[in-house]
Amino acid sequence: MAGANGQVVVADQLSRRYGTGAAAVDALVDVSTGFDRDRFTAIMGPSGSGKSTLMHILAGLDRPTTGTVELDGVEITALDDGELTQLRRDKLGFVFQFFNLLPVLTAEENLVLPLSIAGRKPDREWVEQLIRTVGLEERRSHRPAELSGGQQQRVAVARALVSKPAVVFADEPTGNLDSKASEDVLQLLRRAVDEFGQTVVMVTHDPAAAAHADRLITLRDGRIVHDAAPGSADDVIELMKQLD
Amino acid sequence: MTSLALKSLWARKVRALTTTFAVVLGIAFVAGTYVLTDTILAAFDEIFAESLKGTSVVVTAKNPVEQENSEVPTISAGLLPRIQRTPGVELAAGAIFTPGAFFDSEGDKIGSKFSPKFISSTLPGKLESLTYVDGHRPRGPTEASIDKGAAESSGLQLGEKIGLVSAGRLRQFELVGFTRLGGASFGGASIAQVTLPTAQALTHKRGRFDQISVAAEPGVSPAALKRRIAAQMPASVRVETAGENASRQSEKIDESLGFFQTFLLVFGFIAVFVGSFLIFNTFSITVAQRISEFGMLRTLGASRRQILTSVMVEAVAIGLIGALLGIAGGFVVALGLNALFEALGIDLPTTSLVLEARTVIVALLVGVLVTVVAAFMPALRSTRVPPIAALHAFSPPPSRRRRRVAVVISILLAALGLFLLVSGLTKGGGAGSRAALVGGGALLIVIGGSFYTPKLVPPISNLAGWPLQRLRGLTGRLARENAQRNTSRTAITAAALMIGVALVAFVTVFAAGLKSTVAQVVDENFAGGGLVIQNTDGFSPIPAGVAGAAEQVPGVESVQSIRSSKAKLVGGEDVQVAAPTPEIEMAVSLTWKAGGPTALRNLGDGEAIVSDSFASANGLAVGDSFRLLTARDARPQFKVAGEFESKLGVLGDVLVTQPVMARAFGQRQDTSAFVLVEPGADAATVQAILSKGIEIAFPIAEVLNQGELKEDRETQIGQLVNLFYGLLALAVLISLFGIANTLALSIHERTRELGMLRAIGMSRRQVRTMIRYESVITALIGAVLGLVLGVIFATLIAQPLKGEGFTLSYPVGSLIGLLLLAAIFGVLAAVLPARRAARLDVLESLQYE
Ligand SMILES: Nc1ncnc2c1ncn2[C@@H]1O[C@H](COP(=O)(O)OP(=O)(O)O)[C@@H](O)[C@H]1O
Ligand SMILES: [Mg+2]
Repeated sequence: MAGANGQVVVADQLSRRYGTGAAAVDALVDVSTGFDRDRFTAIMGPSGSGKSTLMHILAGLDRPTTGTVELDGVEITALDDGELTQLRRDKLGFVFQFFNLLPVLTAEENLVLPLSIAGRKPDREWVEQLIRTVGLEERRSHRPAELSGGQQQRVAVARALVSKPAVVFADEPTGNLDSKASEDVLQLLRRAVDEFGQTVVMVTHDPAAAAHADRLITLRDGRIVHDAAPGSADDVIELMKQLD
Repeated sequence: MTSLALKSLWARKVRALTTTFAVVLGIAFVAGTYVLTDTILAAFDEIFAESLKGTSVVVTAKNPVEQENSEVPTISAGLLPRIQRTPGVELAAGAIFTPGAFFDSEGDKIGSKFSPKFISSTLPGKLESLTYVDGHRPRGPTEASIDKGAAESSGLQLGEKIGLVSAGRLRQFELVGFTRLGGASFGGASIAQVTLPTAQALTHKRGRFDQISVAAEPGVSPAALKRRIAAQMPASVRVETAGENASRQSEKIDESLGFFQTFLLVFGFIAVFVGSFLIFNTFSITVAQRISEFGMLRTLGASRRQILTSVMVEAVAIGLIGALLGIAGGFVVALGLNALFEALGIDLPTTSLVLEARTVIVALLVGVLVTVVAAFMPALRSTRVPPIAALHAFSPPPSRRRRRVAVVISILLAALGLFLLVSGLTKGGGAGSRAALVGGGALLIVIGGSFYTPKLVPPISNLAGWPLQRLRGLTGRLARENAQRNTSRTAITAAALMIGVALVAFVTVFAAGLKSTVAQVVDENFAGGGLVIQNTDGFSPIPAGVAGAAEQVPGVESVQSIRSSKAKLVGGEDVQVAAPTPEIEMAVSLTWKAGGPTALRNLGDGEAIVSDSFASANGLAVGDSFRLLTARDARPQFKVAGEFESKLGVLGDVLVTQPVMARAFGQRQDTSAFVLVEPGADAATVQAILSKGIEIAFPIAEVLNQGELKEDRETQIGQLVNLFYGLLALAVLISLFGIANTLALSIHERTRELGMLRAIGMSRRQVRTMIRYESVITALIGAVLGLVLGVIFATLIAQPLKGEGFTLSYPVGSLIGLLLLAAIFGVLAAVLPARRAARLDVLESLQYE
């Protein structure tokens, strides 16, 4: 189990520097934070503030220059490729900005893809529940090209949930959607936290999206400058203005 | 725009290099063929010039019918005094230069199996063309010399015993000298020299010469001397100046090399053709990947024409570079081919490698043309990119009209191909032009069909992918789906392999047919069930004393034999003439259409028995007469005394008596002899005794029972088939390269997708497996299509041959083996792309645009 404080992900003094010498960029500077189980956290900040970098390191896609990440009790910054692969199968779910579904598979096949890759039998009931939750009962055998952007992203969310990971990371999941579709996707992430007890960490630009979260972390120049409950969308907009 | 195109090509030089490679291999083979054949020809020219150095005029028999495996006519020794008395002749001498075989003191053959060996006589004074590098010229009937090359390869020492044999018994000689002829290597050919009377005795040419060499007195021109000598010679003799003789011989070599050259060039052009698929595919894919680049150029004001030009400039550059590298590679190929033939026991004479202007021109033309033609369609597609493509991921859809045009072209090409194929199969005419029709037809069908292959990709990849999916689940499934994702791309990639596999399958089926035909021919022809004596090379005549000696062996009931020679119908085509012993039917079965065994037994010297196909082709019936032109320049007339059913056998088309064969055709040696064993005797024992005796007295002959004879023929076919496989390997190699190239380009396109798969838990190993299966499926599509085409072509081409006794048989095991081999090739082709895909960094791939 996670640390005694009930945190699924613990980041300790993370720094990330790109390049060397005069051209070096410090994308993250000494960031320490933790993410509670069953909570929905949004990460905001201006472009280039280090949001993606933080999320990539937390998810084991990138390594920090210094500092450590503990994910569900496992120190991940030193794992090799095989161990990371296993970690992704067991403990991580991803939602990408560009949906990233496989065009050659149907919606349902895409949904269960992480299980197929891991060679696990899908739990039929759970899969059916997910399909109902994302509202794609009618379109389960359609291919991505036959789905709208919102539908594709809902499939992607369900795909991230299907293996009941310790944490789901979403990088700008609404960045490519209109407001109606964005709302659907955010509702879905919210329900994943409330109904299925998922832990979700989401990077976003959109104050309305951040308003769905339980907690809002704001980054600037690679540091956490604000960390609190988001309040309403208007509160978030106000906060951003203050931080500017 | 041109410099932009070249810069952009330079920026993608690694990709460009792989494209170039597709051209290089094919061109290198074409250039290598030219280099090799030109070199061989130059070597022969050198040999001929060298051997006629001191000679002004050459007198030989006319030999109006070119012989392949039979004795070449000689001239009478009685002509020599007349020539010697001719004014202006300084020196004239008769010479022998006849095929034979040499053995060392242990009885082992000197020299490689298929290379020619000659027994020659010493010539007096300046007429001698061999130089002695060690020892001296043979002086008596027990001395011989041999060329230095053969001596070295067999480790012979002066003073050692060597055995020489030609038309008669093996005779032992003391080795007294080593010779050399100019600077060129003979290849595997070698020459043993003995005194003239000894050479005549060895070759059974007492009182005869192969040639008379004449040296002119100073101040007498060869042409003038030739005229004077010719005036005194009979019509059956040919008088030439040394120059004329050398160029005639060169021409003859050129002619037979021409066949060899065409044969090799066919494989080179197949490789070029297969390479063009690769070029087409690479250009299609890179054009698709550069769509936003073209869109951007269009927003900046580039015209369609400029876009087209920039892609075509790239194509020309690739073609040129490929051709130049190909010419360089040609030298390597020439050496490689030479080594391949040497390994097969065919040593070709060589001198320093020759690069003719023609080779360079052909290579450049072919390289540029093929690349430009293959790149043209993709380049056209690039012009249809609208400026808006700069902003969106956009792929110009093939218009309906274009698709319909493609279907029409495909059907037209295939129909034309079928027409050529059928007319090649059914019409008369030379074998060469028929083969060209059939080959061209097949080519058109393949091209026409390859327009259609995209439609065949889904069903075949489903079929091939099904077991993979059952075995490997998701990775198999994804591999199958990915193979089908861009059907035309997969189709072209597979079609390249299809061509190679089709040819391999064709050769495999055809060879299996030949083998079973040969087995059947042996069974049907040799009804007597006895033993067969043949030359160890399988086709040359056997020494004259063999049949007589065999008759003396206890347990032998009788020995029958056949002598053959090629003749011409006067004013017509070549005819294979055979002279069997009267009782040949004891050994070889004949089916009579007219006449019967008595007709053969009582055959008169003015009579002949003909095959039914010869009779019907020439409108002959029993009682009719026809005239033949023989190797000895005689024109004997024959009355048809009977007719037998022709089949692929040993008898040819016309049967005459053996005395006529000797007198009119100049053929005294048996082509093969059949030994019938007495009813009570044990065939194996008889064979053992016979073999022993023949080994001692006539080591160029061998005794085979029917099983061994079949095996011997099958081995010969097998060697030929291996040669074909070796040459086709090039085309297959290029197509594998194409698979790897297409995979690499596709992976490049799917980078982000691969990143996602890795992010959601796919292991490196699974990525590799998936790519590997995609490759295997592509290879199997090509193999299945190729197999079907190959089998169909073999079946079609076998049809007209059926009348001549060709039986078709399908080697199912080998064909299935071919499929498995294709699957393995697929795995090999995927090694590098799969490794690259597995190594992709997850994060970078996800951010990849
Ligand atoms: N691979 C990289 N190489 C160099 N610099 C990078 C790289 N990735 C990100 N950066 C830099 O790090 C900083 C943070 O980037 P990022 O985490 O992508 O910010 P955000 O997602 O908040 O826009 C930026 O200044 C960016 O230019
Ligand atoms: Mg970002």
